Amino acid sequence: MLEVDHVRKEFGTVRAVSDVSFSINDGVTFGLLGPNGAGKTTTMRMILGILTPDGGTIRWNGSPITSESRRHFGYLPEERGIYGKMKVRDQIIYFGKLHGMREPAIGKRADWWIERLGLKQYAARPCSELSKGNQQKVQVACAAVHQPQLLVLDEPFSGLDPVNAEVLISVLHELKAAGTTLVLSSHQMWQLEELCSEFAIIASGANRVGGTLAQLRAAWPTRVVRVAPADDALHAPFAAISGARPLARMDGTIEYEVPAGTDFASLLKSLVAVAPVTRFESIEPSLHEIYLHAIGETTA
Amino acid sequence: MINDLGTVFAAELQRRITSRPFLIGLLIGVLGIMFITRMPALLDKAFTGSNAIVLVGDAKLLDRVKPLLAKDYKIKGELPMQTIDEHTLNAHHASSAFVFTEQGTKLALTVFSHDPGSVDNKDINRMLTPLLLQDALHKSTADVAALTAMPIAIKPVASKFANANEAFAARAVAYTLIFFLYMLILLNSQIVMSSVAEEKTTRIAELLVASVNPSALLAGKILAGATLALLQMVIWIVAAVLTGSPGAGSGAAPSGDNIFSLAGLFNVITPAVLIGFLVFFAIGMLQVSTVFAAFASLINRTEDLGSVSGPLVIPVIAALFIAMGALGSPDAPFAVITSFVPFLAPFVMFARIAVSNVPLWQIAGSLAVNLAALYVIAIIAGRIYRVGMLLYGRTPKLSQIWSVLRTSS
Repeated sequence: MLEVDHVRKEFGTVRAVSDVSFSINDGVTFGLLGPNGAGKTTTMRMILGILTPDGGTIRWNGSPITSESRRHFGYLPEERGIYGKMKVRDQIIYFGKLHGMREPAIGKRADWWIERLGLKQYAARPCSELSKGNQQKVQVACAAVHQPQLLVLDEPFSGLDPVNAEVLISVLHELKAAGTTLVLSSHQMWQLEELCSEFAIIASGANRVGGTLAQLRAAWPTRVVRVAPADDALHAPFAAISGARPLARMDGTIEYEVPAGTDFASLLKSLVAVAPVTRFESIEPSLHEIYLHAIGETTA
Repeated sequence: MINDLGTVFAAELQRRITSRPFLIGLLIGVLGIMFITRMPALLDKAFTGSNAIVLVGDAKLLDRVKPLLAKDYKIKGELPMQTIDEHTLNAHHASSAFVFTEQGTKLALTVFSHDPGSVDNKDINRMLTPLLLQDALHKSTADVAALTAMPIAIKPVASKFANANEAFAARAVAYTLIFFLYMLILLNSQIVMSSVAEEKTTRIAELLVASVNPSALLAGKILAGATLALLQMVIWIVAAVLTGSPGAGSGAAPSGDNIFSLAGLFNVITPAVLIGFLVFFAIGMLQVSTVFAAFASLINRTEDLGSVSGPLVIPVIAALFIAMGALGSPDAPFAVITSFVPFLAPFVMFARIAVSNVPLWQIAGSLAVNLAALYVIAIIAGRIYRVGMLLYGRTPKLSQIWSVLRTSS
């Protein structure tokens, strides 16, 4: 279990992280969200022991992060790096060794990752000869070759084409199934929504909201109700709800934002009473909307 | 930590040993050493005409003069009295013609030369003095030799050498080894610097410091650099010995006289000199390359390497010159003081050890000061490196580096 408790980090006069807390149970895939400059990368670097927090604590399985615990971590930084002249297989083996793996196990693991990521034909070639997408696959293999207990991925999908993004998503699902705890940051909300079961949204170096998607949705103050057909008579029941406001009218439908505590059964009854209703839908907020709302609160 | 260091060391060694800069440096070094060790013979052949002369005059007179001049001149021919012109000199491949005549009872010399500036009157006079004395005193050659032979005994006082030849050979070897020190430390420190800069600029640094302790990473790189330098040095010395040994080429001096021959080296490289060289090489390499690596972590573009390494090279060049001076005056106060100063000591103290009996307390003191300095340098460099490797954007100012050092302590 990873516990990040009120961590703080300053660089001179710049406060990169002022107060971030969250905890992640083993095997959970966790999304760390926030706008540029929110402190995501600094928080990740502190988790990995690259930076030392100025305040607060970070614990892994109940103990402070040590060089021994770091052996069981993997990291894919946002700024990708690779030894251009080193061969693909050698590079993966090198990073495996840096995490304490030894021959012959490391060779077999490297070959497995090469096969899994479709890099077999490039295994003996210098990394500089590979396309950017394939270089990123090599970096993923370097980060995960030692079967880490915790894998931190900072913007793992940036620069990947849709096909390679799908490959990465399936690999992350496999790691999750194998029990690896994953921490991801990404601006691709739909991918995070698909992958992650828990989230923390941070801005200006501090937590805004956090929890499972269900918890985040439960805490969302409004819901969107969509009804069809677009009969003018259907506006009246909405107008009777305090705080309801119409949204952009789509073809053949009416949309309203209503308070989350609205009695939808009663609303449906009221609507049916004034006009024939062919469609009634209560739309949950997407992660994207929750994110924008959380960030909006901060910037407001 | 030890495992990480070993992994980084092995990978770094493997990458660097096959790198183009190392192989080119090694090859150029070997060629340079071969040239230097063969240079005396080559120069001798190349400039053989400058001391080539023809003797002109009465045959009996020339018979007396010839043995006295033969030590310093190549005598290309003996001619009867005649008019000397350019054709005479060219025909005998000589630069000068020494025309001897007798004016009364005195010997007289007229020199016809392509290069009058190369003729040293006093030197010629000194060479011919036995002949002049013989004529003036009407004594035989043996008598004059007996008269002018003054017994000279050289008694070494607090000197590590038994005679002048040994001292000269030791200085020559020390001179060469100091030059090796300079080349190896500078070349390999710059290779370490390039390696750090490569990892910084290719953004692989963050991945590395997430996987391994930055101190182990830095230490692995520096130790790999030192090992490569040692390997390079062994290859260079072997090259020097092979090209300096008899049979390596015509014109080579006999093995005992040639300091680059195996026999010559064993004459002057005592265990103390060898240990001193290795110890101070290690200290110098570690001091210089650690500083180079720390500063390399601050740059953002490999193009900036030159501007950063420029000022760092200055102490190494200064150390080279001071060490050269210390070979001539190993006990001069300036040499003694600088043999304690970090960055200078590896060169200066080794120079002093090579050519004099340095008191043991001075060697121990210098080692203590420089090992302590190395410890402090490693701590400061480690902090700069740890922060510098993640620092992107503009190259930080000195005040920012100082701030980083204070906050990361």
